[in-house]
Amino acid sequence: MTAGVQTLRTPAADGIPGTRDRTPWLVAPATFLIAIILLFPILLLFRYSLNRYDRLEFMIEAFSIENYVRFFTDSFYRDVLWRTIQIAFISTAATLVLALPVAYFVARAPAKWKSALIMLTVFPLFVGNAVRAAGWMAVMGNGGFLNRSLIGLGIIDQPIEILFTPTAVVVGIIAVVLPFMILSIQSVLETVSVSLEEAAQNLGATPLQAFRRVVLPLAMPGVIAGTLLVFILCMNAYATPVLLGGPRFHVMAPKVYEQITEQSNWPFGAALAFVLMFSTLILSVLSAWIVQRRYTR
Amino acid sequence: MRFDELLAIHRRHFLMGAGAAGAAAMMPGSAFAQGKTVVVGTWGGDYQNLLEENISKPLLAPKGVTVQYDVGNAPPRKNKLIAERRLPRGTQDVVGLSDIDMYEMSLANVLEKLDTSKFANSKNLIPALAKDYAAPHIYSGLVLVYNPNHADPKGFADMWDPRYAGKVGFADGLYIQNINAAALVAGGDRSNFEPGKAKMMELKKAGARVYPSNEAVAAALQSGEIWMTPMWRARAFQWASGGIPVKDIAPKEGITPILFEMAVPRNSQNKDAAYEFLQAMLEPKAQGGFAQKMGYVPTVNNAPLTPDLEQKLTFTAEEQKRFIVPDYDYIAKNNNALREWWQRDVLG
Repeated sequence: MTAGVQTLRTPAADGIPGTRDRTPWLVAPATFLIAIILLFPILLLFRYSLNRYDRLEFMIEAFSIENYVRFFTDSFYRDVLWRTIQIAFISTAATLVLALPVAYFVARAPAKWKSALIMLTVFPLFVGNAVRAAGWMAVMGNGGFLNRSLIGLGIIDQPIEILFTPTAVVVGIIAVVLPFMILSIQSVLETVSVSLEEAAQNLGATPLQAFRRVVLPLAMPGVIAGTLLVFILCMNAYATPVLLGGPRFHVMAPKVYEQITEQSNWPFGAALAFVLMFSTLILSVLSAWIVQRRYTR
Repeated sequence: MRFDELLAIHRRHFLMGAGAAGAAAMMPGSAFAQGKTVVVGTWGGDYQNLLEENISKPLLAPKGVTVQYDVGNAPPRKNKLIAERRLPRGTQDVVGLSDIDMYEMSLANVLEKLDTSKFANSKNLIPALAKDYAAPHIYSGLVLVYNPNHADPKGFADMWDPRYAGKVGFADGLYIQNINAAALVAGGDRSNFEPGKAKMMELKKAGARVYPSNEAVAAALQSGEIWMTPMWRARAFQWASGGIPVKDIAPKEGITPILFEMAVPRNSQNKDAAYEFLQAMLEPKAQGGFAQKMGYVPTVNNAPLTPDLEQKLTFTAEEQKRFIVPDYDYIAKNNNALREWWQRDVLG
């Protein structure tokens, strides 16, 4: 790291007189761009969240926290946030469990197969979330592929309710986020030498122990990155809960959309967006901090 | 030829072309002078396609009127009207909304008071459907759509029949109409939906289902998951035409009509073209096209329908007596509260 910094040092930084350090200006265009396309809309949204809504006036200029008060004092919306967090945690944990063996398999696959395996992992991302959810609807519906198959095989005589349940949402979300988790973990596992596992096994560890005690701690940066990425995606999932959860399944992102687009209540929709954003941020930072502490002791 | 010579020739040709175009634009009666554009804020999909097939291409294009569509759902369209209210030049010349939404926009004072002398076909409008702030385009009514192989209802009250428990479905988007139907059964009326709330909760306990879209309701009817749903007669026509085993009954409690209307925003930039659009929209042939494909009833009394369509789509004189026109003011004042209640209590 020090060497890297030294190679970037400019004459001015080295104290050569008569030269001015203009290096910081190089980041100005990117910073300006980010400020415009990211921070400005966020600030604008925050400002909207302090306004008042009127059905005929649309939005009335105000400086009030009543939208936030409404959210936190209303058990309906608190439940929506709590359900969002629950679904995100369950989906992230299940994705992690499913992704670990796949990522390990891909990382340890012979070089000639690796590209094909990575392509197979990435392949589902070529299809949009809504299209994939529509596919799941055809599978999970009462008259869908799954129920028809089970009835055809004589296993059940009445369709099982899968579509429009939390289970359907979790399955749909996992299918969307699994490639992100696999790729995040696989990229770090590539850097963990096989000889370390062999050494552990030479010293008497079983393959599972070697993975758990040697490989997994070394792959932890990838696990943390993948988990955070997937958790953020799960918290903000929109198409999958709407299509597979149905109108009775309430989570945050569809509520933001509903308030802004269907109810035209931008101030409350903006407040919901901020609550969702900060909840995601706090939970992500907190969980990353806890996991890092656990594995760096 | 050198590059600068080539450039000079191109520049000369461009200037000649521009001059010709400018001269043409100044000549009265030329194609350029006649060219008008009308921006229509509308729903996409079938509705937009039918506007194109029945109005824009056959009726307006020959007159040199080009129709551009500003496609989207109704709420953003309403937001746009309100947000642009103070601007001298709006972005829409004609805007399509349901009667309930259009009434709200009239309250927001964003719509032009229509001058019926500017679209002569207004004289053929069914008088009960005409308003001074919007021209009715198509209409239908809320009926009970059911699967005749499993049910034989006579009115909305049959949704509470224990024989049909768990076999009643609702479209989420029709929450106002669903509560309205329950209110009519429970002794409420067009200006008081409150009695319908407890009645609706009974149905929820009995296992009524709510679907995210009309299409999902159609799929549930087809699969036998549900046997009945309150829905527009036009949809029943579409579904039956598509092979779904459904019939409809005009409920004994009353029929709530739905109108899809077109209005001209106050700040429309092309009001003449907007009136030409309204005139074409009410042409008998255009109205017949919508009835044939979408199943909505014409709003003019000179649009010929085949006997089959007449029987399937329209409402008999006896049924029309049972029309319960929505109390738009009541709905406008209570819409948000009804939505909240539907979300928390029925969907929650």
